[in-house]
Amino acid sequence: MAELACAGRTIREINAEIRRLLKEGEAVTVSSPGARHNLGVALLESGVVVFDGSVGYYCAGLIDGARVRIKGSAGWGLAESMLSGEVIVEGNAGNSAGAAIRGGALVVQGDSGARTGVSMKNGLIIVTGSCGYMSGFMGQGGKMIICGDAAEAFGDSMYETICFIGGAIADLGNDAIVAESTDEDKQFLDTSLSYYLPAALRGNLPGAGDFKKVVSGRKLWNFKKSEWKTWEQAL
Amino acid sequence: MLGMLRALGCRGPDSAGVALYHSPAGGDLVLQVKLGEKGLSQDGAEAVIAKASALSQPKDVSTTGSYLRLTMEGSLDPVRLAATIESATPDVEVVSMGRCLEIVKQVGSPDRLEETFHISEYKGPHGIGHTRMSTESKVDLSHSQPFWAHGCPDLAIVHNGHITNYHKLRRQYEQQGIRFYTENDSEIIGVYVAQGLLRGLSLEEVLRSAVIDWDGSFSCLVSTADAMGFVKDSFAHKPLLFGETDEFAVVATEEIAVRAEFGGELKVREAGAREVKVWRN
Repeated sequence: MAELACAGRTIREINAEIRRLLKEGEAVTVSSPGARHNLGVALLESGVVVFDGSVGYYCAGLIDGARVRIKGSAGWGLAESMLSGEVIVEGNAGNSAGAAIRGGALVVQGDSGARTGVSMKNGLIIVTGSCGYMSGFMGQGGKMIICGDAAEAFGDSMYETICFIGGAIADLGNDAIVAESTDEDKQFLDTSLSYYLPAALRGNLPGAGDFKKVVSGRKLWNFKKSEWKTWEQAL
Repeated sequence: MLGMLRALGCRGPDSAGVALYHSPAGGDLVLQVKLGEKGLSQDGAEAVIAKASALSQPKDVSTTGSYLRLTMEGSLDPVRLAATIESATPDVEVVSMGRCLEIVKQVGSPDRLEETFHISEYKGPHGIGHTRMSTESKVDLSHSQPFWAHGCPDLAIVHNGHITNYHKLRRQYEQQGIRFYTENDSEIIGVYVAQGLLRGLSLEEVLRSAVIDWDGSFSCLVSTADAMGFVKDSFAHKPLLFGETDEFAVVATEEIAVRAEFGGELKVREAGAREVKVWRN
């Protein structure tokens, strides 16, 4: 595994070097990232990148195929607009983790901040802990699994994102409803959690049957004057 | 704190400042008085000392940068003391007053703050600091943070964000006779917290009520002689994260400041919407 030290390098230099090494088929360990911003953004090569510590804002945004592991926590906008690939953060993530992703998988092995998965189009987000205010907001597709609790306004104004939540929901967002889980859903949860989470983390999680499924109530999809009250409340 | 400010200095290089706390020394009030925006004014210093002397004999008088530092009898009324000193010349402002608190701030980088005031040599249980990128109001010493809550000994704040109902709140306070020193919305925070504490609320209670009473975006740190706490707005618009151990707590806008000083081990978490947390010494 190739070693890349951050000290003394600009973010552009670090990212260019990660890309060069990935192109050569190397897996890369990036040492002392020091929670700096924009690390590993727009990696269009597949391959493994390990950040040996915390990262700042927008880490692994816009990636297409890379498998990124963060051995620390992550700031705002983690894996934003990811096209495909895998981003695993061993600590907590800041606000807007997995914003607008179009594919791939984001796994937060701690808690995630406000607006987790905002406007996600597809892909999968797993949060082992709890998620912050207005997570799932305007989600258009994909799936989000929160093993812990959700803060207020969970799943607000969603389109077709499907959320599963193992803990308590402080408050459902506008037009979010709890739906009946199917056997297929339970199987999906089982498969996803055992595939993406190490055994040590799976031990304390709720069973697949204990997750609640939250989807859009579809009341806000089309404007109807007769449902003005619903709209008034949502806006 | 200096290391953390250095790490965040690139985010806001306009000004830097710290509010530092030490154990109360005998109950006297320590004052940091700004003599003017443009460096030390000897006439200003003499005028301040003359005014202060009318109330009691100033002790430990010294000058650094644009500041005159002096110690006054602890039994003096803080509001009257500040007003008396500020009547010396129009440029004079009491930047901090308290039995434990001292604020120093100036235009420029954290490194310049260290060069002028040697803040790294200061020893105490807690402190808060700020580097500023001005978006809407002036870049000068008075608009720099931390802000002392004028008239309320030992209370200081730093704020990232925008209090959008500032004008409405300010008008209410001005009707009660409270003087404002800047056109900066962050100044309202110290006034609000001071009023709450004066009414007998705990720091936690004041910060919880702030979530209801302030509009806009805010991540805000507040410190008193024996406590430090934060509050975040209802939409989690502004960043603020924290980490804690049995021995200490650290709060920062960005993790880069934590990693610069505390290495990789300390776990941090982004504060949630409406979250309030207070630590006591």
